[in-house]
Amino acid sequence: MNRVTKRSWLMCLFIFLLLGGMGFFVMEYTVKADAWVVAPGSPHVFKGSNLGNGVVVDRDDVVLLDVENNRSYSDNAETRASTMHWLGDRQGRIQAGAVGSYAALMSGYDKVNGLYDFAGGSGVARLSLSARVQNAALRALNGRKGTVGIYNYKTGEILCAVTSPTYDPDHVPDVEADTSGKYDGVYLNRFLQSSYVPGSIFKVVTTAAALECVPDIESRTFTCDGAYEYGTEAVTCETAHGTLDLKGALAHSCNCSFAQIAKLVGKKNMEKYVQKFGITESVSFDGVTSASGHYDISDTGGASFAWSCIGQHSDLINPARFMTFMGTIANGGRGVELFLVSSVTRGEEVLYEAKGRQTDRIMSKTTAEKLQSYLRNNVQTIYGDGHFPGLSVCAKSGTSQLGGGQKSNAMFSGFVLDEAYPLAFIVVVENGGYGSATCVPVLSPVLQECKAVLDAE
Amino acid sequence: MTDLQTILDIVAQSRALYADVFTAAARYLVPALAALLLLHCARPLLSFRREPEIWAWLKFTDGSQVAVTHWENVIGRSKSSDITVALSTVSRNHAVLTRYDDGSWTITDASSKTGTWVNGERVSICALHSGDVISIGGVDMELTPITKRQEQLQSQLRTKGSSGWSSLLGLMLLTLMQALMLTGFLLSGEPEEYPAYLLGFGVVFLCQWALFLFYTVIRRSSFEVETIAFFLCTLGIAALATVKPGEMLKQSAAMIMGVGMFLLIGWSLRDLERAKRFRYLAVLAGVGFLVVTLLFGKEYYGAKNWLVIGGLSLQPSELSKVCFVYAGASTMDRIMNKRNLILFIAYSIVICGLLALMNDFGTAMIFFCAFLIIAYLRSGSVGTIGLACTALGFAGVLALRIAPHALNRFATWRHVWDNPFTSGYQQTQAIMCIASGGLFGLGPGKGFLQKVFAADSDIVFATISEEWGLILALMAVLAVAALGFFAIRTSRVSRSSFYCIGGCTAAGILLIQASLNCLGTVDVLPFTGVTFPFISNGGTSMIGAWGLLAFVKAADTRQNASFAVRFSK
Repeated sequence: MNRVTKRSWLMCLFIFLLLGGMGFFVMEYTVKADAWVVAPGSPHVFKGSNLGNGVVVDRDDVVLLDVENNRSYSDNAETRASTMHWLGDRQGRIQAGAVGSYAALMSGYDKVNGLYDFAGGSGVARLSLSARVQNAALRALNGRKGTVGIYNYKTGEILCAVTSPTYDPDHVPDVEADTSGKYDGVYLNRFLQSSYVPGSIFKVVTTAAALECVPDIESRTFTCDGAYEYGTEAVTCETAHGTLDLKGALAHSCNCSFAQIAKLVGKKNMEKYVQKFGITESVSFDGVTSASGHYDISDTGGASFAWSCIGQHSDLINPARFMTFMGTIANGGRGVELFLVSSVTRGEEVLYEAKGRQTDRIMSKTTAEKLQSYLRNNVQTIYGDGHFPGLSVCAKSGTSQLGGGQKSNAMFSGFVLDEAYPLAFIVVVENGGYGSATCVPVLSPVLQECKAVLDAE
Repeated sequence: MTDLQTILDIVAQSRALYADVFTAAARYLVPALAALLLLHCARPLLSFRREPEIWAWLKFTDGSQVAVTHWENVIGRSKSSDITVALSTVSRNHAVLTRYDDGSWTITDASSKTGTWVNGERVSICALHSGDVISIGGVDMELTPITKRQEQLQSQLRTKGSSGWSSLLGLMLLTLMQALMLTGFLLSGEPEEYPAYLLGFGVVFLCQWALFLFYTVIRRSSFEVETIAFFLCTLGIAALATVKPGEMLKQSAAMIMGVGMFLLIGWSLRDLERAKRFRYLAVLAGVGFLVVTLLFGKEYYGAKNWLVIGGLSLQPSELSKVCFVYAGASTMDRIMNKRNLILFIAYSIVICGLLALMNDFGTAMIFFCAFLIIAYLRSGSVGTIGLACTALGFAGVLALRIAPHALNRFATWRHVWDNPFTSGYQQTQAIMCIASGGLFGLGPGKGFLQKVFAADSDIVFATISEEWGLILALMAVLAVAALGFFAIRTSRVSRSSFYCIGGCTAAGILLIQASLNCLGTVDVLPFTGVTFPFISNGGTSMIGAWGLLAFVKAADTRQNASFAVRFSK
């Protein structure tokens, strides 16, 4: 008996395995638990990759999303539709990474209480978006596909970033069964994830490049008789614009003049300045990264190079990125970083506050100011100041031809030059036709709503 | 009536608020009660002493005498013998002197060289009577058992089992904890699941009190081991209530059957002779369960370990474990017989082969550990154990090459965070949810893990941790560890090596299952999908766990402690 009973020490090994193993885990827990809770896929923090806890409000504290209770969205149907792409849907088809990237912070985790939270002291993410402006923009787009983006070029806060088509997350349409095409690309956030043929808004880039690298560009004139032979092909305008200087060429969006300006700038410089202005780069904010643009002139020559400077050929721009380019011009050649989430709070505690940091200078102050005056001139002489009462709007329109018999995309981008309303914007209406004719009526009420919001603040 | 309705309406409306307030308090109260309960139960289990006992005297012709201190005593030249006779004519393990329940004694020759002689005749086994002269290696001796009166006095010196009042207090603590948990579910859970909550907690409540009353009637007072088991069952009910309340009836029935199994095996172990007879039945049943599974079983997730009978899914290998303990436990006189050990090894090989055919890696692991414990306790040879481990190593490598599903589990081990959405999904979700719950949990029904596969079985540790906190989940682990310590403690006072081996092996299986389950969940060990005893949802697993507990309980020889031990007359 003695022997058998003494051998029962072996059991200690098994007890040691259990307790030692558990001890090891407890040690891991004390070191790593906070990282585990916020790891991708953590079910209490995220829903898919969307925000899975807390409350999201707009800049005026209008509740846009309360994650409790099966994700309850705003009680206003229009707001639900206009903001859904930034909040994520219930089914996880729409990924809203920007607020999602604050999920961990909002969850208010601590190792003792975990995510337990008595009496609803959940985290609140405050967006710089204005639900009012979002709704106005969605209304203005009126079911057409496209996007309206507006941001404050002094602070970096995004006031408006609407994408269309969208839907009310409380009344999800049968997207699969729809054959009308009205929900094509509905899960896409066009402001962030799309790239468009820029058309003539790209002429701002060419103009900026010319101002930077062609010393006497302002004293030169260009003649347009409706077509300009460049290499073996011709660049054409709808009408003959006659003789124009740089400012006039931009105002009339004269292709023939820009073919000549392109020639003066040259391929090397165009490539250099597109890169310097960051036109094709993606833009990142709040943990999300936009689609990138495209500018490739390696196989171009003559007219095709000229078309690339007019925003056609194979050019592509992302709306968010191009909007910041315009904002940088408005801000004198140096931009600020974008943000959508302005603060994260939990009770009285401020956990995060956005700081729109300045970015590197991309053009000289002189060039920027010159461009401001040119773009201001566009509105005053071509688009009409009357559309934007009380605002000094500077802008350029674009009508980007898509080929394949498709109606052109209407583009409009620029900024407001008033101290009180430092706003830069971009409007894209897919297959919208003529740039300014389509986009100005869209932008006009939205800018007025922005003005009202800023006035109220 | 209208007023009553109004009050009821107000109460219904404020349910969410009550639930929040209740959870805020209960999340601290439940682990506190559990800690108190565990301390209360574990203390007597760990603290009892081995009192020196003398059952007989062995008198030599020269007038000297040696005390016989066990019921089973090895006489031999070896220093580790219970009675050492240091003569070259005596074999290392010469003979075994055995006392029986009725006070009678036998001597069995342990294949000695010079033989064992009683009254001048060479014997292999012989009942001893007063005045019989035993001769071993030329040394004559006479056995004089102590008198009945001495026996009575001696039995009073044994460590007392805990009093009925102490057991009652433990049970009341457990009941209070159950009431808190049930209230939590009634406030926070789905109203349509109320019957399931009430059934689950109700059945565990009734089982524990019915068993306690039964013990009171048969004058057995120690209830610690049972209270620990019911504590674990309660955690299982709490996990099931949140994951699959629809299966509460099945699991409750299994718990009742489990307690029945506990009593049946306990009764069979009460009498060593009866236990030995049961042993043959168990040996056959152990193989039978596996053969039937292999012939008629269904394969789920790569392992063919399920038997579906009339809509009920059974895992007969869970019951085979109990049979294996029976087969492995043995009295000293048999242990000293090499043939017996060889037969057991052969039996283990058959079992192992059947498990290999079933492709059930987790269960094979458990059987292997049980085999190790039995083999070591019986042979005491570290060399044997080393050889067995090497054999396992080779077999393991071979199995991994043949069975890719087992290999996958090893491939993800300590790498679950590399593929949190595919191969590491279950474990990373479990670990994230454990962290989300913190030390005190999110509250009943507030967990996410219920939506993850096997939340009520393979990763049940995390389910409890998420909703009730890591502290309570660790209590479950400590509870199993306490049973393990208890088995070591009782082995020192076991009257027969049969109980000692049985108790240790059963506790060992409980320990290794708990280890594989919870350490697998948190990626400290490979994830094998083994059940946590008493907690994981699964009928056969529940019955098997209670069956194993009977062996642990049968080894408890404290006064009036165990129904599996007869009163000393």
